Amino acid sequence: MRVLVVEDDDGIAVGLRSHLRQQGFAVDLADGVASAWAALRAEPFDLVLLDLGLADGDGCEVLRRLRHSPDGQLPDSATPVLIMTARDEVSSRIAGLDQGADDYVTKPFDADELAARMRALRRRAHGRARPKLRCGNIEIDPAARTVTQGGQPVALSAREYMLLLALVEVSPRVLSRDQIEARLYDWGSALDSNAIEVHVHHLRRKLGDPVIRTMRGVGYFVPAQPQ
Amino acid sequence: MSQPSLTRHLLAWALGALALVWLSFIAVGFQTGMHEADELTDGHLASVATILLSERDGQFVERRDAGSSVSPDLKRHDYQQSMSIVVWDAAGRLVTRSGDAPAPPFETAEGFFDLQLGDPPTPWRAFSLWDGPQHSRKVMVLLSLKGRAKLAWDIAEQVVEPGLWLFPVIALALGLAIRRGLSPLYELSRDVHALDVNQPAPLRPRHPQAEFEAVVDSINQLVERQQLALNNERHLASEMAHEMRTPLTSLALHARALRGTQSDTERAESLERLEFDALRAGQVLAQLLALARASHTELSEAAQMLDLAALASGVVSEYGEVALNSGHELALCTTTSFPIVGHAVLLEIALRNLIDNALSHTPRGTLIEVQLDAQARWIQVCDNGANGDAGFAAPAGRAGPQARKLGLGLGLGHRVVEKVAAIHHAQFARCEPAAGFTTCYRLSFGPSASAAPGDGNAKGTAPSRQHRASGRPQLDH
Repeated sequence: MRVLVVEDDDGIAVGLRSHLRQQGFAVDLADGVASAWAALRAEPFDLVLLDLGLADGDGCEVLRRLRHSPDGQLPDSATPVLIMTARDEVSSRIAGLDQGADDYVTKPFDADELAARMRALRRRAHGRARPKLRCGNIEIDPAARTVTQGGQPVALSAREYMLLLALVEVSPRVLSRDQIEARLYDWGSALDSNAIEVHVHHLRRKLGDPVIRTMRGVGYFVPAQPQ
Repeated sequence: MSQPSLTRHLLAWALGALALVWLSFIAVGFQTGMHEADELTDGHLASVATILLSERDGQFVERRDAGSSVSPDLKRHDYQQSMSIVVWDAAGRLVTRSGDAPAPPFETAEGFFDLQLGDPPTPWRAFSLWDGPQHSRKVMVLLSLKGRAKLAWDIAEQVVEPGLWLFPVIALALGLAIRRGLSPLYELSRDVHALDVNQPAPLRPRHPQAEFEAVVDSINQLVERQQLALNNERHLASEMAHEMRTPLTSLALHARALRGTQSDTERAESLERLEFDALRAGQVLAQLLALARASHTELSEAAQMLDLAALASGVVSEYGEVALNSGHELALCTTTSFPIVGHAVLLEIALRNLIDNALSHTPRGTLIEVQLDAQARWIQVCDNGANGDAGFAAPAGRAGPQARKLGLGLGLGHRVVEKVAAIHHAQFARCEPAAGFTTCYRLSFGPSASAAPGDGNAKGTAPSRQHRASGRPQLDH
């Protein structure tokens, strides 16, 4: 899952990036309204962590622009937004939620709680109520970041896990190589030209070839299977 | 249309009530008078008729009971009096007599007089008259004084009766009228009582009376000030919460990150960040405590004479390395001395905030100058940054690690400066920037009431550049 952290405090931004990367998220940072909007227009994000008090304006402005962006182009107006605020003013939180934010946390927050809220937002964004994803005999637990196949745990690297999660979440839709890269890697990540192919190869080796199919010239997908 | 007046309102109701009572009294009095006149006349008619019934063939029937043959209804007339009549001839012989009165003496003068007649004696009112100069016949008409007194009481009661209910009716009517007339005052009282200190709202616009204009205006002004003060306090609390929670959040996140897998470089950075955030939180806490203790009374008592120029010089000196690392040029432009009665800790907090804000919101290479004018009694922080809102390319908080150690970007905000200004009865506002600068924030103190008499420094000594710290090589001294 690729997350945009919009935060003007260096300590919080870097701390969030470190923690979320450890959780397997791809994290990009923006320190103001302008940079956040530029990032949202350039790349698809699965979730936005938004601070309200930014140096060059109110974080609600990013939210307003996001929710009013036209369909079919970046940024995706349905991108989940989680507000982070350190202020006591309830009115600003209410305004943020009324403008389309999906949730909020008050600083200082528990990092695990934040991650849980992010997972919940992602679940809701994909129309799921159950915390675990199932695809055939494969079960993914986003909270524990574990994968089991036929009840047996499967050891995956962080990238492999994120790739499998991305494909299962949109199954049976096909994700192009670019789409997969955008979901797995932030701007600072070094990316080999065949990195995705390598990860797919590893996943097939661990889970079996039929799990991930290739649509030549388009991308990869996980076929829909009876639950 | 003239403005409504409580006086007129009250007067109208009071006079209206009095007029109503007065008209009622007149109506009742008039009706009573007419009725009593009728009664009196009827009584006379009945009395005369009764007397005439005593006459037979030109002579009164002796000792005839005047009422014996009269119908009971006529006899019971209120004003009918039982008259007794006695007639004598010139020699004093009784010619005729009627009525209940005992025989009176013949030797009486003409006119009105009282007599005691009978056994036991009872008082009678008598009127005696001869028939003319020839004194051939003398007539005496008698009336029992008890009967007359009864009649007098009856008449008096009729006259006094309206007076008996007049006072309570007037009191009741006036009470109701005054209550109704003062209803705008009661409404105002209720509205004032309903004012909530925590949710102040101006008085409802339903008090147009001229007498309330000043009161309502004053209360609304107080409410407005109270609301403003509450909002300021809330905003200040919010700013403080933000400044306190920000380093705590960073602390928590970096501590959590340290528990995970990190490279040596990341671990070192996280540890350094922990140290920085802990120091930042501590400094924020110290300043918040200083502000929290800054109650007006305590501060008034604790204020002392200090040299603002020296204080500014010390603060600017401490920011030397911060400015160097963030690529800013920091300077002090002041007179040699700026005596003022105030609180050094709070003034230092305010100045640090202004410098922090300037460092945080201006790009590298910006000149930030702290200027003081002892004569005009102000201190201001100016910068020549491109734009105070957009040119914050290198916030102080993101300067290098070494810079962070000395430059803990507090950024408690202008509200803290406003609070400090209020405590010092000073004004804080953005002002017209001096030549060569783009942004200036000034703290203006009131007229000097405490400057040492004869202090030469308060006589407009031109500010002179005293201290400058910068990362640039081309420093001027």
